[in-house]
Amino acid sequence: MNWKNVLSLMQVDRKSGRLIRGRKLTRYRENRFLAYWPYWTALGVGLAVGLLVGVVYNFVAASDATAAVDFKNGALSLFFSLPTLVLIISLVFTLFQQIQRSGVRASWQVPYWLPVTWQEHTLASIFASLFGFPLALIVLIATAIIAFSLFSGLVIPAMATSLAVFAAAFMASATTEVFRILQVRFIGAVYKSTGRAAVWVRFAGSLVFFLVFYILYFYVFYGSGIVTFIQNVASVQTVAWFVPFVWPGLTLFYSFMSGEVLIGLAFMIVSILFIAGLFFLATSLNKQFGLYEPPAITVSRGGYAPKTGVLGRLGFSSLEAALIRKDLKAFTRRRELMAIFIFPIIMVIIPLFQTFGSTSPSFPFQLSTFLAAYSFLFPAAIMAMSLGNFMLGEEGQSVWRLFSSPISARSLVKSKFFFIVLFSLIVLAITGAVGSVIYHPPANVVIIASVEGIFLLCALGALSLSNGISGSDFTETPRPRMIRQSTAILNFFACSAVGAGILAPFVPYVLSSTLSSLMPSLGKLPFLNPYIATALSAFTALILTVIFYRFALKNAREFLKKAEI
Amino acid sequence: MIISDESAVELRSVVKRYSEILAVNNVDLTIKKGEIFGLLGPNGSGKSTTLKMLLGLVQPESGSIIVLGTDVQKDPITVKQQVGYVPESPRLYEFLTGIEYLDFIADVYEMQTEEKKNRIYEYLKALELEGREGDMINGYSDGMKQKIALISAFLHRPRLLVLDEPLSALDPRSARIIKDVLNQLKTQGVTTIMSTHVLEIAQAVCDRIGIMYHGKLLALGNMKELRAMSKLPDSGLEDIFLKLTGTGDTKAIVEELLK
Repeated sequence: MNWKNVLSLMQVDRKSGRLIRGRKLTRYRENRFLAYWPYWTALGVGLAVGLLVGVVYNFVAASDATAAVDFKNGALSLFFSLPTLVLIISLVFTLFQQIQRSGVRASWQVPYWLPVTWQEHTLASIFASLFGFPLALIVLIATAIIAFSLFSGLVIPAMATSLAVFAAAFMASATTEVFRILQVRFIGAVYKSTGRAAVWVRFAGSLVFFLVFYILYFYVFYGSGIVTFIQNVASVQTVAWFVPFVWPGLTLFYSFMSGEVLIGLAFMIVSILFIAGLFFLATSLNKQFGLYEPPAITVSRGGYAPKTGVLGRLGFSSLEAALIRKDLKAFTRRRELMAIFIFPIIMVIIPLFQTFGSTSPSFPFQLSTFLAAYSFLFPAAIMAMSLGNFMLGEEGQSVWRLFSSPISARSLVKSKFFFIVLFSLIVLAITGAVGSVIYHPPANVVIIASVEGIFLLCALGALSLSNGISGSDFTETPRPRMIRQSTAILNFFACSAVGAGILAPFVPYVLSSTLSSLMPSLGKLPFLNPYIATALSAFTALILTVIFYRFALKNAREFLKKAEI
Repeated sequence: MIISDESAVELRSVVKRYSEILAVNNVDLTIKKGEIFGLLGPNGSGKSTTLKMLLGLVQPESGSIIVLGTDVQKDPITVKQQVGYVPESPRLYEFLTGIEYLDFIADVYEMQTEEKKNRIYEYLKALELEGREGDMINGYSDGMKQKIALISAFLHRPRLLVLDEPLSALDPRSARIIKDVLNQLKTQGVTTIMSTHVLEIAQAVCDRIGIMYHGKLLALGNMKELRAMSKLPDSGLEDIFLKLTGTGDTKAIVEELLK
């Protein structure tokens, strides 16, 4: 194993992930400090957290010796659940990274023609997958627990935990590597066997995969999930001792908690063997299938079938219709874009999860009305926001086609905006129907929420499209970026503010109906009519849509003029 | 500015700078209608930037560019409607099939259904892509992708073709077909501007050749004029090119490398 090769390959991967869009690229010099900012930040935060908890521990120890022992035991039980926690987080993030990269051809991969062995390539790939959030998390955890241990006298367990945390992250990344290679080979086999249906098989398969993945992700990371999760890990780990992924945690448990050092040693040895096994499995799979290219997907048998279609009758020129059809195919055939479809589904599922978890068998009227309105408004609004963000950036490096074709700003914005509205309307119809079936809202709620949803998605779609054009990022390696991070964050806040502004006329109505249900003596206030609120809100949304659409046109003119990418 | 009816492209005092790098340095160039013009030069000499400026893909810092009688900075859409373009490394929409991509291009140029169908099939057949048109482009080889990019440039009967390394990755038969197509289009008054590093192709196909170096147009003319300019009366384009660009002392470099 040539470690210099491994380091060089890792550097290439790290550099390919840099956010250099908009920077001066001639005589480009990397700022070494800024290049590693996530890890410096993690180090600083970890140190601060560790010192703070250490000071609190000292304070507790000075006042109550028993409490100090409990504190220490609590810290130790947290220590031994950390490896499994980091393993799951790393698994989710490394898989997520692979999903985002799945649409890009192998140009960012290791140049196979160089004298690099498969062992070196595989090891570098496993380490490189940890760049970003997983590695920052490891740094944060290790710094925090070591800093804390200086106060509590847990230096050796803290050091061992840091090593175990790193081993667990490596385990996760190696698993992702194995999964990645198998997935490429499996998909190839599916293409071959399904023939022309391959494109739909892939579409359905990707949707199912994303759905499962995101439900797991949101379950672990949102709401009280993370706390429950840590508690579960701590209790489940010893029961599920036969699962190799919990062995690093068990090494710590038996070595430092239960005092059975020999068993701890045994778990450490099997952990190392398991990691080595994963690494050798990944290496041999890479040897076998690393250069495997999935066969081409045949969509049609050939034969020309022009589709003049409905779009022409709706007033779109052949150019605009061509752009819309092209985007439709992009969103049903590009795996990294399919993830966008999942968010509306998740947005319906997550509150359902939470409400199903409650002990009450039926929802109170206010809650069911709110959830019904939510299922009409939010998934479609989020869809409009996401699509608006990505609609131009998804062109990637093929954007030269737009620049070199006779496409005006008007046609570009019109076709992209139509696509956003069309897809968001479909989402509104589906999630609204699901919400109506589950929550049985009254007819007026359905009508108001539908109308409100349409206006809301138009305004947010236009705003996001405008921002998406000005902040588009066509970089495709190591993954398609589509939009600058800063623009995406700003757009999220702008959409939240605009959405709140559009829905503001409903605040008095919601307050009055809540108050009147709590205090029936107040009665219904006649001027707080929901239809008046809808009219006011729709009017606001309409005005904002026109304004944002004009911004989008202005940005598109600038974009087409400054075609340099 | 007086624009000649005979000229397809006129560049006047065109300057383009990328930060400190002067990519195109005060270039004046007139290309006649129906001409096949070759733009040569070492890597980084400003060829691709010049070609991109003809379509308004890159904005010049100063100077004017008139393409087919239209100021490209004032009305790029009119220019783009009449131009067929193949960039140096064309990235196609890989999620589309070959036929879907060409259909998309034909619609962007607002071609009539029957005409686009016929022309697409003529070109697919000529460049031996028939039978693979229903496959997604991401399964194509580089040569097949280049063929699709070339078809998409020819499809809408442009009056000007701007081709950056058009024959790279093509098999000899397809390269020959493209060369013959360019010669046929010339007789119909179509102008072609191409950049290439394959000097034999430039010598065989182009009526006139411009040699760029460090952003400047170093030499311009037909083979006879270039030979006279370089004082190499019996030489081929390779020797002329190396002499004019001052990169001719290759022997010493090779000796140094093989030490």
